[in-house]
Amino acid sequence: MGDEKIIALNNVNLEIYKKEIVCIIGTSGSGKSTLLNMMAGLEKPTKGEIIVNNMHLENMNEKQLTKFRQKNIGFVFQSYNLIPTLTALENVSLVLTFRGVPRKIRDKKATEMLKNVGLGNRLHHKPSEMSGGQQQRVSIARAFVGNPKIVFADEPTGNLDTKTTFEIMDLVTSMSKELNQTLVIVTHDNEISRYANRIFHMRDGKIENVEELLLKGDVVN
Amino acid sequence: MNSLDLIYMGIKNLWRRKLRTFLTVLGVIIGAASIIVMLSIGFGLTQAFEDQLSQWGSLTNINIYPKWSDPGIPGGGNKEVYLNDEAVASFKAIPHVVAVNPIVETYGTVINGKYITSIPIRGIDPKVMQDFGFEIAEGRLLEVSDEMTAVFGGQVAMSFYNPKATVWREPKVDLMKDKLMITLNPNYGWSDPNLDTVNYKSYKIKVAGILTQENYEHSYAVYMPMADVKKMIKDKEKAENQKPTPNKGKDEYQNITVKVDDMNNVKEVQDQIKALGYEAYSLNDQLEAMKQTARSIQLALGGIGAISLLVAAIGITNTMVMSIYERTREIGIMKVIGASINDIKKLFLFESALIGLLGGILGIGVSYLLSFLINRFGGSFGNFMGTGLDSKISIIPIWLVFASLAFSALIGVISGYYPARRAMKLSAIDAIRTE
Ligand SMILES: Nc1ncnc2c1ncn2[C@@H]1O[C@H](COP(=O)(O)OP(=O)(O)O)[C@@H](O)[C@H]1O
Ligand SMILES: [Mg+2]
Repeated sequence: MGDEKIIALNNVNLEIYKKEIVCIIGTSGSGKSTLLNMMAGLEKPTKGEIIVNNMHLENMNEKQLTKFRQKNIGFVFQSYNLIPTLTALENVSLVLTFRGVPRKIRDKKATEMLKNVGLGNRLHHKPSEMSGGQQQRVSIARAFVGNPKIVFADEPTGNLDTKTTFEIMDLVTSMSKELNQTLVIVTHDNEISRYANRIFHMRDGKIENVEELLLKGDVVN
Repeated sequence: MNSLDLIYMGIKNLWRRKLRTFLTVLGVIIGAASIIVMLSIGFGLTQAFEDQLSQWGSLTNINIYPKWSDPGIPGGGNKEVYLNDEAVASFKAIPHVVAVNPIVETYGTVINGKYITSIPIRGIDPKVMQDFGFEIAEGRLLEVSDEMTAVFGGQVAMSFYNPKATVWREPKVDLMKDKLMITLNPNYGWSDPNLDTVNYKSYKIKVAGILTQENYEHSYAVYMPMADVKKMIKDKEKAENQKPTPNKGKDEYQNITVKVDDMNNVKEVQDQIKALGYEAYSLNDQLEAMKQTARSIQLALGGIGAISLLVAAIGITNTMVMSIYERTREIGIMKVIGASINDIKKLFLFESALIGLLGGILGIGVSYLLSFLINRFGGSFGNFMGTGLDSKISIIPIWLVFASLAFSALIGVISGYYPARRAMKLSAIDAIRTE
């Protein structure tokens, strides 16, 4: 803090393709979250370009970024980030509320989505009445309900036990494949990185190497 | 985000913190009620002044008198003006004038057997009596077809006396039934009729009715058709051997009264009449001064009320800022999942406006209750001012109700503006980082 300059990211260059599942892995403090937030338009780089679907995020103002996120991005966080006073259904349908979708339609979509993540019987439960795994499922439903082009997941299983971790990872990857979405996962867990097509290894704000596991999707940038 | 969802979400957020919302609203209730009640006392005061003045005559009347001509001062470019039919016509042409009442006034004596009374005799156009607030207690007002017919002021009956009696006794007169005579002899009953050099006529009159005692102006006078009074004056002049003066260049009427459609137009019409070169007076002149006093008092009272509303406004701001601290994370999440900064701003503004509006609505209710209690148990201004009029202390005009609603909502919006901007500018990523 203060005058000390922290360089969270330094000379990072990467391309992610459409419909690809990518994993960013590295130790704590290596700059993974910073990178992810920048790609999602939540943080601005001091220097450089972020291009998503031909749009330059670094030049957008707050208003344009909100619009961009609303249309293109879904999020899954380590700490779920559900609104504690709302039920599962309300949390999921909130995304659509901000888009001006009428109540009937958004509740129907949110219910459908919650059924897809296996929470058909927990629609009206508040986050505090659910387990960590269930809360993360709600958060996944929320990320996918708006049918975004890219879903970013920042350590989605960081607070979960091993068994639940695999359930959640299976769920996220299968859903993104089914919906033809690009998925970017940040983790420090090697097990999880196996779900990806490509793995970016980060250390001290730099990408050390890129590991290809499976076929990559179409190049779009 | 559509408005319905915004409203629903805002109400839900306020409901979530019921106690705090209630306390904040309570502040606004107290603020709004103190302003309304304070202002209502000012309105009550104004009304009391108006009531008091209207006892002296109608507030929509303008009285025009002959101009005091001062030969020392050149006319100031104004042409000479007189109270004649030409003047009546020109007053009728002024907008907002509903009726014009020229009056010929003379002085005479009404004779009822051995009782007499000396009072002003006024010639009036029967058509305008109604317009000028003549209210009948017995009988009827004058009609166009009436001849040598009189309507008496409400107090006239009590003014009869027997000039020959040494002790005053209550006169036994019934104006509606007794046979009455009228004369313009200025000395009737005082001088020896046999020594009179002038032979004044006496006229038999019929009585149409008696006025109520409400209006002081009309209480001590006899009203008769204009033509009859003019004729009696002519007779008198003839009897006194005066040369009949030509109508031109003379005041034909002692006084002309103009009735205006609304109290608020009196000043305008009065100014126009003055501009024509006449002397015009209305109770409005006094009323203006009284209203000025009432306004000053009202301003002082309203100021006291305004302070409590200001405190309430600060209360709203405080509540909303606290709410932002508590909801930082929630705001961050909403921003990340697609709420626009506009949505966030509107949400906070709506919540604070609702607090203001709610306070305003309940404040009005409380004001009406307080106003009722004040009027019920606080007596009336009439008692303080000794007029005996039963005017209310606290009056809440309906426009004040709507103004209060709009104003309290506005106070809410203004109070919520700073917190809303703060919420809007909150960094989403910082907000969700706070654990
Ligand atoms: N808001 C911030 N202010 C200052 N430094 C920060 C902030 N956020 C992250 N950092 C620093 O940037 C570096 C990268 O952080 P982060 O991207 O969160 O790492 P990771 O997600 O890989 O654990 C770290 O050194 C961290 O201390
Ligand atoms: Mg991180």
